[in-house]
Amino acid sequence: MAELKFCCITSGKGGVGKTSLAVNLAFTLARQGHRVLLVDGDLGLANVDVLLGLEVKANVRDVLDLGADPQATVIYLGPNLGILPASSGVPEMANLSPEDQQDLEEVLRVIAAPFDLVLVDTGAGLGPAVLWFNRLAHHSLVVVTPDPTALTDAYALIKVLFQQYQRRHFLVVLNHVQGEPEALQTFSALDRAVKRFLGFTLNYLGAIPTDQAVKLAVRNQVPFITRFPQSKASQAVERLATRLLNLGSDPQVSHSRKPRVQAVT
Amino acid sequence: MPPLRPKPACPWEKDNCPVLAELLRLQKECRRLKELSRTDPLTGLYNRRYLLTALEQEMERTRRTGLPTTLIMLDLDHFKKINDTFGHPFGDGVLRRVACLLKSNIRKIDIPCRYGGEEFALILPGTRLSQGRRLALRLRGILEQAWTEARHKTGPITASFGVDTYTGREALTPEDFIHRADRWLLVAKARGRNTVCLPEASPSQPEVGLSSEERRLFYLSPPSCDKTGESYG
Repeated sequence: MAELKFCCITSGKGGVGKTSLAVNLAFTLARQGHRVLLVDGDLGLANVDVLLGLEVKANVRDVLDLGADPQATVIYLGPNLGILPASSGVPEMANLSPEDQQDLEEVLRVIAAPFDLVLVDTGAGLGPAVLWFNRLAHHSLVVVTPDPTALTDAYALIKVLFQQYQRRHFLVVLNHVQGEPEALQTFSALDRAVKRFLGFTLNYLGAIPTDQAVKLAVRNQVPFITRFPQSKASQAVERLATRLLNLGSDPQVSHSRKPRVQAVT
Repeated sequence: MPPLRPKPACPWEKDNCPVLAELLRLQKECRRLKELSRTDPLTGLYNRRYLLTALEQEMERTRRTGLPTTLIMLDLDHFKKINDTFGHPFGDGVLRRVACLLKSNIRKIDIPCRYGGEEFALILPGTRLSQGRRLALRLRGILEQAWTEARHKTGPITASFGVDTYTGREALTPEDFIHRADRWLLVAKARGRNTVCLPEASPSQPEVGLSSEERRLFYLSPPSCDKTGESYG
């Protein structure tokens, strides 16, 4: 289990590009030969399976109650890419008792076992499911845009996870930036606020520039990484993927009780 | 169904007009088939096909009028055991009695359906979540009480309930809506059955507790407040 990278893609605010990042990151990593499981943790909203017209054969409840095969809950989009749709019964579990949550955690581990990497696309806000997934994850990717409301919501999420679950490791991804200077400037605003009020530093994972290709790809319902592999956004996601993979070998930057040393900037 | 229109007259004022007789017969047959196509033969409730049609209409009404539509999904607990122990004819009798209890405890405007097997659906037009919850709780109690008399060898027959409300704020198909209520039904099953589950009125979000200073962090603050010289713009 130690090698398995469980990454939560989260944001506090909705509409900052969480799902888009999760999907494109998953496709990128799968194309590089890593076995990736994408978990749609977005409760009851846009369900990946509905969008893609996929059929869910069993849900997580069937696994817990009836002993159904856990692997039947996963839909494969390619040899390396599995999807666990929200409709597979995960969301409501977050509202269940601690014992049930533990059972679910076990099932998720079984489902995740054949994969190298698990990416969870959480919903927006600070609901119980969002916090639950983040608590489970080795890495929390926080997606923000330079918009002050997005920054405030991201800060609030970080504060809650820090205060309630003592999490102090966050990888920040800047989305919709005009260039690297703006990305770094926005990151440092968030980083300074966290340092000042919460007393730890954030990690900068990377930035995705505003790109017409993203808009076009969304309209065509395909990941921009497959439709426009040469676009600025695709290249940025590829760099993110590389950094994410390299992080895993560094114990200092994943959630652990060891003290952190240095921010990766 | 709306009442029959008054009998049309024969344009040639013929008595015993065969064309008119045939017309009336077809009209009657048409009504009978229409009724048949939307009814579940065992329980006399509406069937699944009509559930989807009616839900589509009520959801459109919600979108236009803003009046919420509530959906209750209920499923009898351990029904397979009853069928296995007492036989299917007995099980059918139980389903008919449940249908009867449902029908006699809802309003005239509500639409009771058999969703399939031992699962039922109730569409409650113009009904808020809290009202739907109250009805579900009442029905749960009624069903629980219905089989407690000594002559019923089955012991209590109970049901689990999932309730959800459509407020028209999001785009949702009838199937999605059923699926959402069904999820709460699954939660009710998971919580030990014979219970009602529904979305919480105010989702239990933890207190974030941002100070007013934290709240203003990322906005351009007026120069007088910016004592440290840092700007978080």
